[in-house]
Amino acid sequence: MRTGAVNTNFEVFDMVSTSGISPLDEAREELLREASIEAQASGREKAQEESGPARSLLVFFLGAEGFAVDLAHVRKVLRPARIARVSGASPEVLGLMNCEGEVLCVLDLRRVLSPGKETAPPAATEGKFVVVLRHGGKEAGFLVDTVRDATEHPASSVHPVLDSIVPSRARLFEGTVACGGQFVGLLSPSACLNP
Amino acid sequence: MTTGSVDLLVVDDGEALRGYDCRDVVRVEEVVGEAGGYLVRLGRLGSPRDVACREVLGSVALSAREIRPVPEVLRERVTGEAPWAVGLTEREIYLLY
Repeated sequence: MRTGAVNTNFEVFDMVSTSGISPLDEAREELLREASIEAQASGREKAQEESGPARSLLVFFLGAEGFAVDLAHVRKVLRPARIARVSGASPEVLGLMNCEGEVLCVLDLRRVLSPGKETAPPAATEGKFVVVLRHGGKEAGFLVDTVRDATEHPASSVHPVLDSIVPSRARLFEGTVACGGQFVGLLSPSACLNP
Repeated sequence: MTTGSVDLLVVDDGEALRGYDCRDVVRVEEVVGEAGGYLVRLGRLGSPRDVACREVLGSVALSAREIRPVPEVLRERVTGEAPWAVGLTEREIYLLY
């Protein structure tokens, strides 16, 4: 039978399925389901072709402000242990932590992002997280309030850094990403690790 | 297997635990007056210098296995004298000067 031709075999309409839905309706529904699946797959492929490979981002927060970092640079996320202060260190340095037998320098991400606010007391670490980033042979832990999750985003969803951000702060970001109904700043691991 | 070790004089500078090679210590003096604290005179091995601290805690022996390099991220963010290494034991972190 030619595709698209009118089916003249009326015998099929006499058939009634046990579910009360005619075989024709069942066939149509099945066809629509298949078409929907095909369309979704095709759409995904097209989206990937248009936007390049997806990026896996770790999303975390300082208060209500969200941030993200490429998962490729995240070595681990852990709860802060005792942090030994270092005299003479910059205000963003919280200190050194024993991280499974290695010495980890922990930085206060709040102070990295807002270096002017140095009169505030050092951040309390209870209930918070340390996100350990590695880039270009350097490694450090960054104290954050909460860690949400890791999500995949098409590369095209990364938008430029907002013009309203001051240049000294803007250099710490790669861009902006829409994530869960909220725009979050995509941090540049390189810029965050280098003073 | 490593057999190297270092005996450190451990002092509290008010923020961190500092360790100085015991062989380099000339003497420790108590500072009289309002500020108090101690003055550690160094220079038996190297150039003479004085280090003020709040308290002298004693000495500790660290094996080579317990000594780590200073993380680069910290080294870049220290003004003044930077530690040459970090002593890492199960209980404490020492900054070695």
